[in-house]
Amino acid sequence: MADEHDPRAERFERYLDALLAGARPSPDDVSSPDEAEMARLAAEMAGAVGTANADPDDAFVEQLRMRMRAADAGLAAVQVPPPVRQPAAEPGGRRTWHLSRRELLLGGIGAAAGLAAGLIGVSLAPRSPSDSPTLGGDDDLVAGDGYWEEVARLDDVPPGAVARFSTVAFDGFVVNEGGDVRALSSVCTHMGCTLQHRPEWQDLRCPCHGASFDLAGRLANGRRTWRDNPYRGDARAYPIELPDLVRPRVKVEDGAILVWTAQA
Amino acid sequence: MSTGPGRFEQVYGEHVVGIYRFVYARVGNRPDAEDLTAGVFVRAVEQLDTAREPGQIAAWLYRVAQNSIADYWRAFYRLPVVGVDHVAPGWEPTDEGTQRQAAPDERASVRVQALLRNLPDRYRRVLELRFLQRMSVAETARAMGITSGNAKVLQYRALRKAAVIGDATDG
Repeated sequence: MADEHDPRAERFERYLDALLAGARPSPDDVSSPDEAEMARLAAEMAGAVGTANADPDDAFVEQLRMRMRAADAGLAAVQVPPPVRQPAAEPGGRRTWHLSRRELLLGGIGAAAGLAAGLIGVSLAPRSPSDSPTLGGDDDLVAGDGYWEEVARLDDVPPGAVARFSTVAFDGFVVNEGGDVRALSSVCTHMGCTLQHRPEWQDLRCPCHGASFDLAGRLANGRRTWRDNPYRGDARAYPIELPDLVRPRVKVEDGAILVWTAQA
Repeated sequence: MSTGPGRFEQVYGEHVVGIYRFVYARVGNRPDAEDLTAGVFVRAVEQLDTAREPGQIAAWLYRVAQNSIADYWRAFYRLPVVGVDHVAPGWEPTDEGTQRQAAPDERASVRVQALLRNLPDRYRRVLELRFLQRMSVAETARAMGITSGNAKVLQYRALRKAAVIGDATDG
């Protein structure tokens, strides 16, 4: 038989080479449904005769055990939300915080979209078999094509204001902190409940288990910071650490606040 | 059956090896097997009611594992893959209890042996050298007296043929 060169066979060899070396094969080396069936058969053959890896690595088993123990304890721990402190009255009995009309308006819309937001948040979170039980944590949420969508006028979100917004792909808050405008997901990174803005604490509060996020999207009542800086809004710490809220890209243009809306 | 704190860890300890073996036999590589195994228990810690009967717990875990593997082939290759069920028999809880599942997965191996037996000689030879003896393409080519290019084409055709035979014997 003369020497042959078949691009498909060459590429598929890359799949086999990784598989048989015990590494993670790349889906890019599989290019048709037929080849997917071949890959599946090859994986089954490698799994059937590769007895060296048929049993899990001890270190993996122990590491996962620790992870499960923490998750189990964490889930049990957050069944009861931390008790809420009453906001301290300020001199004159009046809070400096004030709501914009826009925020009041958007608040109603946001509440209606709450359930959808949870679902959308889950579907947008990166998926892989090793996902932790929590969601989000990415700085940017940009996947493939998309467009900038106006979610508010800058005039309606002056410095110090927080306003709800809702796009096709996303439910969240725009925050203007001293002229720095940012957007935050309203999906809690614990179990996906919809966060509520609490003006008196300047935080985003989860109604399910009582996680509070600051206006930068970080967990505000976590244990890690509690000792040095107990959170004013709670009598005790939220028992587990959570990833930051997802922050979609945002820009201000011609007096409009625009949020990047990804299209699948 | 004990409940409460530590109960989940008990479930984990009883099933982690079995689930890993089940997954490994179907994806054939350690990194993906570890990811999928972790995924099964992450879902379990959130959703599995550990107060259920041991048989129900095992059935739940293996069903999630099986679905995860189906998703893996669907999503990982972005292709519609049918016939995932053919690798599945043997995991359902039986009267023998969970011991049966903890045993190494022999059925996949039996199926592979049968597939190899049904291939033309040269196809079987190239797959045996690569998969059983774990030879590289270059070593396989030398052992068969052919070029590396030929060995790659030969193993490609052998796997394609075996996939067709596998499909025919599934029903």
